[in-house]
Amino acid sequence: MSTAITLHNITKRYGDLMAVDDFSLKVERGLIFGLLGPNGAGKTTLIRVLTTLLRPTAGDAVVEGRSVLTEGKEVRRLIGVVPQENNLDRYLTARENLALHARMHGMRPSDYNRTIDELLELTGLSGRQHDFPDTYSGGMQRRLVVARALVHKPRVLFLDEPTTGLDPQSRRAVWDYIQTLRATMTIFLTTHYMDEADLLCDRIVIMDHGRPLVDGNSSQLKEALAHSHLYDLEFRDGADRYEALLRGLPFVESLERSGNLFRLALTGEEALKPLMDAIGSEDIRKICLREPSLEDVFIELTGRKVRE
Amino acid sequence: MFRGAFSIWRRDMLVLRRSLFSELLAVVAYPLTLYLAFGIGLKGYIADVEGVPYALFIAPGLISMTAVNAAFDESAWSMWFHRRVQHTIEEYRVNPITVYDIVVGKIMSGFCQGALKGVAVAVVIFLMTPFRFSFPHLLAYLVFIVFGSMIFSCLGTICGTTVDKPENLGRIQAVVIVPLIFMAGIFFPLSSYPAAILPIVRALPTTAIFEGARQALLRGTVTAGYAAILVVTAAASFALAVWIFNKKIEG
Repeated sequence: MSTAITLHNITKRYGDLMAVDDFSLKVERGLIFGLLGPNGAGKTTLIRVLTTLLRPTAGDAVVEGRSVLTEGKEVRRLIGVVPQENNLDRYLTARENLALHARMHGMRPSDYNRTIDELLELTGLSGRQHDFPDTYSGGMQRRLVVARALVHKPRVLFLDEPTTGLDPQSRRAVWDYIQTLRATMTIFLTTHYMDEADLLCDRIVIMDHGRPLVDGNSSQLKEALAHSHLYDLEFRDGADRYEALLRGLPFVESLERSGNLFRLALTGEEALKPLMDAIGSEDIRKICLREPSLEDVFIELTGRKVRE
Repeated sequence: MFRGAFSIWRRDMLVLRRSLFSELLAVVAYPLTLYLAFGIGLKGYIADVEGVPYALFIAPGLISMTAVNAAFDESAWSMWFHRRVQHTIEEYRVNPITVYDIVVGKIMSGFCQGALKGVAVAVVIFLMTPFRFSFPHLLAYLVFIVFGSMIFSCLGTICGTTVDKPENLGRIQAVVIVPLIFMAGIFFPLSSYPAAILPIVRALPTTAIFEGARQALLRGTVTAGYAAILVVTAAASFALAVWIFNKKIEG
């Protein structure tokens, strides 16, 4: 499979802060690639480098064979960008927003009018095309930003947290739309929604502190955590007493409580018998082995501490 | 070439067209009030200035002032708004256009707004007052307006690029732009200045705009010194606007 995006030792420093640290990566053509990480991990900085908005302190990146350092204009001709914040022009109607984008790409009205009609139809905005974006819901605005990024038929689409702030219905509508693009272009997506990455991405890299931590598809990443013995344990009664007991057991690696339900990680399979011996069976409503989720992988790698 | 600049300019003109009437009404009110207050109110006290009737003396300056103020306002506020509020500058920058396209587009828009609003004020003053001029002088006058609007449009672009808080844009206008305009002799002759500071005042680009424009419209003469100041200032402010925009945007 040929390569759509290559990052060669990208470093970006802001004064003393190292936002991206010697990051190298290859993304194959035609994939939906997900870059995950907590706030401040360096995801948006990487996207800004790849979309030529930011010059790296060191290293280079190549998008569809063009260097972001020396062929920025050519790179921009080949990419579509959906930024984290909506940057629609509120003084132009939806259709005018798309037409302005097309003109910037040197398209003629005879070329772009039909494409705009199709995109508005696909995104369900045809009926509101002559309205101003301010009158749209958040989900509609997001769909319009995605449509705008596609007017010139890019070969690589960058989506920076495309569904942040949307209600579940709008998120699903954006996901459905992204799925329809899968066959026609490479999609580079950043998100901190694990369900989004799990559903959409063919390949995922989790990064933190400007560096990649793991790389693989969703199943592979979960598999990496399969050795950790995660259990859900629910009590009928006496949860406070059991919490104190569980916290004192040496083979319980981590413990999370939600009401009467505990989520715990044991040191190994052999710890299950001493656990049962310690807690008895009279108050247990449920105990089951839990398959690790992508979120478990994410938390395991990046920690629980809330980032600023 | 400059495809992006024309796209941005076309967008700005479309937006202007939507609110043209209210824009022109607002822009005409201020200089017309000044003209009526000074030109008519002081007519009985100031018969003429260096042989020119006072109402005639101040009219070219008021038209020029409208044009350059509009050029500054449009460029400064538009650049600030697109950069800080709408973030549309980022959208422009992920398209296959250059930084020059964005700056040139914004300067063209500022210049056109300035020219349009200057013409609107000129027409109103012409229709409502006894102010008259010789039409062949108009071409020479336009040279000064074109360069003046371009300079103020570049200054506006620089301010809109560098200033992050909107209240500071208003402060720059009050502390720098307005004094520069009023010191340039719109309402009084330059000969009123003490001889010691007159060379400094004459070297100001705003003096070149307003005094040069007045001489062009009333006498039909293009003063080479003023024209040279304008050309050099326009070139320097354009280069500075592009450089600053590039530096700021690249982070």
